[in-house]
Amino acid sequence: MSMKHLYSKGDRRFVLINSILIGIFTLSTLYPFIYITSLSFSSGFAARAGTVVLTPIDTTIEAYKYVLAQPMFWISYKNTFLYTILGTLMSLIIIIPGSYALSRPQLKGRRFWNLVVAFTMWFNAGLIPFFLNMRDLGLLDSYFGIIIGFAVNGFNIILLRNFFEGIPQSFEEAARMDGANEFQVLWKVYVPLSKPAIATVSLFCIVARWNGFFWAMVLLQDEQKIPLQVFLRHTISTLSDDNEFGASLVDATYSAETVTAAIIVCSIIPILIIYPFIQRYFEKGILLGGVKE
Amino acid sequence: MSDATGPNQENGEGLVAHLIDHFKKEWQLYVMLLPTIAWLVVFLYKPMYGLQIAFKDYSIFRGISGSPWVGFEHFETLFQSEQFIRALKNTVIISFYTLIFGFPVPIFLALMFNEVLNRWFKKTSQTIVYLPHFISSVIIAGIVMTAFSPSAGIINTFLGWFGVEPIYFLTKPEWFRPIFIGTGIWQEAGFQSIVYLAAIAGVSPTLYESAVVDGASRWQMMWKITLPSILPTIIIMLIIRIGNILEVSFEMIILLYQPATYETADVVNTFIYRQGIQGGQYDLAAAAGLFNAVVAFVLVISANTISKRFSRTSLW
Amino acid sequence: MPGVRLDGIVKKYGAVQVVHGIDLVVEEGEFVVLVGPSGCGKSTTLRMIAGLEDISGGSLTIDERVMNSVAPKDRDVAMVFQNYALYPHLNVADNIAFGLRIRKESKDKIASAVEEVAGILGLTPYLERRPADLSGGQRQRVAMGRAIVRRPKVFLFDEPLSNLDAKLRTQMRAEIKRLHNRLGATSIYVTHDQVEAMTLADRIVVMHDGRIEQIGSPMDLFLNPANTFVAGFLGSPPMNMFTATVVAGPNGPVAEFHGQSLELPNLDALEIGSEITLGVRPEFVQLNDDPNAPGVKVDVDLVETLGSEALIHATLNGSPFVIRTETISRAPSNAAQQSFTIAPELLRIFDVETGVALPGQEVAVPENAA
Repeated sequence: MSMKHLYSKGDRRFVLINSILIGIFTLSTLYPFIYITSLSFSSGFAARAGTVVLTPIDTTIEAYKYVLAQPMFWISYKNTFLYTILGTLMSLIIIIPGSYALSRPQLKGRRFWNLVVAFTMWFNAGLIPFFLNMRDLGLLDSYFGIIIGFAVNGFNIILLRNFFEGIPQSFEEAARMDGANEFQVLWKVYVPLSKPAIATVSLFCIVARWNGFFWAMVLLQDEQKIPLQVFLRHTISTLSDDNEFGASLVDATYSAETVTAAIIVCSIIPILIIYPFIQRYFEKGILLGGVKE
Repeated sequence: MSDATGPNQENGEGLVAHLIDHFKKEWQLYVMLLPTIAWLVVFLYKPMYGLQIAFKDYSIFRGISGSPWVGFEHFETLFQSEQFIRALKNTVIISFYTLIFGFPVPIFLALMFNEVLNRWFKKTSQTIVYLPHFISSVIIAGIVMTAFSPSAGIINTFLGWFGVEPIYFLTKPEWFRPIFIGTGIWQEAGFQSIVYLAAIAGVSPTLYESAVVDGASRWQMMWKITLPSILPTIIIMLIIRIGNILEVSFEMIILLYQPATYETADVVNTFIYRQGIQGGQYDLAAAAGLFNAVVAFVLVISANTISKRFSRTSLW
Repeated sequence: MPGVRLDGIVKKYGAVQVVHGIDLVVEEGEFVVLVGPSGCGKSTTLRMIAGLEDISGGSLTIDERVMNSVAPKDRDVAMVFQNYALYPHLNVADNIAFGLRIRKESKDKIASAVEEVAGILGLTPYLERRPADLSGGQRQRVAMGRAIVRRPKVFLFDEPLSNLDAKLRTQMRAEIKRLHNRLGATSIYVTHDQVEAMTLADRIVVMHDGRIEQIGSPMDLFLNPANTFVAGFLGSPPMNMFTATVVAGPNGPVAEFHGQSLELPNLDALEIGSEITLGVRPEFVQLNDDPNAPGVKVDVDLVETLGSEALIHATLNGSPFVIRTETISRAPSNAAQQSFTIAPELLRIFDVETGVALPGQEVAVPENAA
C-alpha cells in the first residue's frame, strides 16, 4: 500500500482526517504525563494556584529535593528492585521447566496437567482464602512471601508452553540422539530458541512486580519491607488528606501536588527505561498467550 | 508374522512395566514439572480448600478444619446486607458501562491505526498509546487525584476558564463512575487495540488489491473489508469480556474511592477487602468471594465454550 | 556380522497397530533403503530403531545388543532429520560439535573432529555461519556432518532430501552415496521416492501398510517384483498391468486379452484357462517399425519427448498403457495406432487374486548391476 500518489482526493482527505484524530488521541494519552512532569518542576505556589497547564511555572527542583531526602523513598525503591529482580528470576526458574514439560507430547497425563494450570485461570479462590493461606504459611510480612507468593501465573505458563510447542519436535529428538538429557535439551536448545517468548514473559513479570501494590499493602506491615508503590500510595494519600501539611507548604517552593508529581515521575522512570525493550516483544507475546488451544 | 507378540502386551502387568520403563526414561520431565505444579497446589489450590470457611464460623484460633459448620448462614447474611447488594449492583453496572463505552474504542483505534500511512507517525503514536498499560494503578490514581484536585487540578483549572466553580470530583458519587471508566479506557484502549491490529495484519493484501482495482475508496475498504475480516476476533473478544464481567479492577477502586463515594463505587472485591482483610470477618468475606468466584467461573466457562463454537481456537 | 537386526518389530498406538512385525537384518556397512508410500510405517520403523518411539513388540538388536529399552543416546546411532533440525542459534562448527560437547569430549578432539568432517563435506569455508545464512544443500551437509562427526555404528536418514529442489536432490543423492562408499557405515535410509531408493540402496525394503512387501537389491526388485504392489511402486513410469486369460498356443501358453494375445514363458504354475495379471514394463516393450506388423496393438494418445527418450501414452483396450522408448525417431505421432512385441521372459505374471508373482519366472540380475 505504498502507492500514495495514486490516491484519489477523497482518500487523501480521509487519510488526513484520520491522522488528525489519531494525533489527538495520542496527545491526550501523553498530556497527563507532561502535565505531571511540569507540575513536579513548578513551584508549590504556582501549583496551588492552578496555573500549571503545559510547561513548568517558576521552575524549581525543590519537590525532588524533598522527595529524595526521604529515607523511606530510598528504602522502598531498593525493596522494589529486590522484589522485581528476585521475583522475576523466581518466576522464570519455576515456569520455564514447567512449561517445557507441559509442551512435551511424551509427558503422561499431559491433558490433565494442562488442565491443572488452566483451571487456576477460570476459578480463583479469592482474596480471603489466599490471604489466610499466606498467613498459615507464615509468609506475612516477609520478603520471601512476596517473592514466592506471586511467582507463577497461568497466562505466562501457557504463553511459554505454546511457544515451546511451536518448535519442531525434531530439535528435541536430534539433541537427544546427540546424547543430551532433558535438562540439556531445554537449556541448550529450547531456551536459546525461545528468547523472544522468554523475554516477553520476563518483561510481563518485571512490569507486574514493579507495579505490584495491593498484595504488598495487604501482606507487609514492616515499613522496612514495603515496595515503592506502597510508599507512593502512602505519601499521596497523606499529602492530599493532610491539610495542615498542605497549608504549611503554601508559601514554600513545593506543595503536596508538586511533591506527589515528583514521586510519580521518579517511579515511572525505570518503566520508561525498559519500555522500548518491552515494546519489541509484547505485541507478539500477547498473541502467543492469547488465542490457541 | 503374528501381530501381538513382544513383551508389552495390553494387560495390567504390561502396563505397569511400560510405566516403569517410561518413568525411567523420562523422569527428568516430571522433575521439571514438579515446581510449577507444587506452586499451584500450595498457592492456588490450597486456598480453594480454605474456601470452606464460607460455610463455617471461622476463628483464627480453631483454624480452618476446626471451626464449626454453619451452613449457608453467611450467604443469608450477605443477601440481607444492603452493602453487599449494593456492591453487587455496582460491580455489574460498572462492568456494563465499561463494556459499552470501553469495548468499541480499541476496535476504532485499530482501524484508524491501520489507515495511517506515515510509518514513523504510526509507530510513535502506538508506542505512546500503549504506554499507560504499563504504569501502575497507584501512579494512575495519583495522576487522577492530582488532575481532579479541587484546588490545583488541571480539570478545575480548565473549568475555571469557563467560570465554573471548582468541583470536588472524587467526593461526588455521581462523578465516580465516569472518572473510573474514563481512566480505564485511557489506560487500556491503546493496548487492547493490539489484538485487533494483529487480526488486521492477517487480512490478505490481495483483498485490498482487488478492491483498489474495483475502484473502492479507503473509507469503503475500511468498512467493507477490514471490519468484516476482523469480525470473528471482535466477537470472540466480546464474549470473553462478557465472561469476565465480574472482574472489575478493584485495585484502582481502592485507590480512588472514599466513604463519600461508596454508594456508587463499592464493588464486590472492595467489599470483601473491607469486610475481610480490614474488618477481620473472614468467613463472611470468603462467602462473598465464593459467590463471586462461582458466578465468574460459570460465565468464563460459558464464554469459552461459545467462543470455541465461533472459531476453532479457544482461549486456553 | 549383522549391524542391525529387527525381529518381529511391532508398533501400536493404543489399540491401533501401525507396524505389523518387521523382520530385517542389515549387515554391517550395508546401505538399506526403506521405501513405501506415506503411512506405510517406514518412518515409524526408523524412529523405533533410533529410540524416538517405544517398540511395542519384537526385539531390536544393534551390534548384537538388544536395544529395546536403551536410550537413544546410548544406541550409538545418528540420525539426519527431514527438516535437518539445525540449531539456529549455533554456527555450523557448533552445530557439528554439539553432540561431542554434550558427551564432554576434549576441546582438542572436538576441534579436530569438526575440522575433519567439515573437510569431508566441503563445509570448511562456512564454519562460522549460522544455518539461516546457508543454502539448502549446505544445511543438508551440516545435518550430515552432525551425524558423522560422532562416528556412530549406524546412520539413520529420515527423508533427508525431501526439502530440496529436484536438481539439488540429485546432487545430494550422489553425495550421500559417495559418503557412504567412503565411510562404509551401516546406513538405514527412509524415503517415499523410489528413484532415491533405486540409486542409493544396496538393498531395498519395500513397505506397505506396516508390512514388508519385498526385500532385495534394486535390480532384483525391478526385474523380479514379488507382487503387483512392488511392481507398481518401483520403476518410473510404473509397470503396466492388466488382466488376461491363459490359453494354449502352438509354442506354449499364450495370454489372451480382448482379442489380442502375447506369448507367455513356459511356467509350471500356469494353468490353461485361468486368469492372470500380466505386467509389462514400459521400457521392455519393442515397438514395431510398421504399425500394422503383428504384435499387440495400442492407440497412442500422446507422445512426450524427453530428449534422450520418449514416453508414449497409449490405451490398450481402453486402459492406459505407457511405453518408454529410447529410439525417438521411431516414436509415433499422436493419435496413431502402434504395435509392439515383448520377449516372453520379460513379462511378469501375477496371481490375479493375491497379486503374488507366479514362481519360476525369476530373471537373473546382470552382473554389473548386482
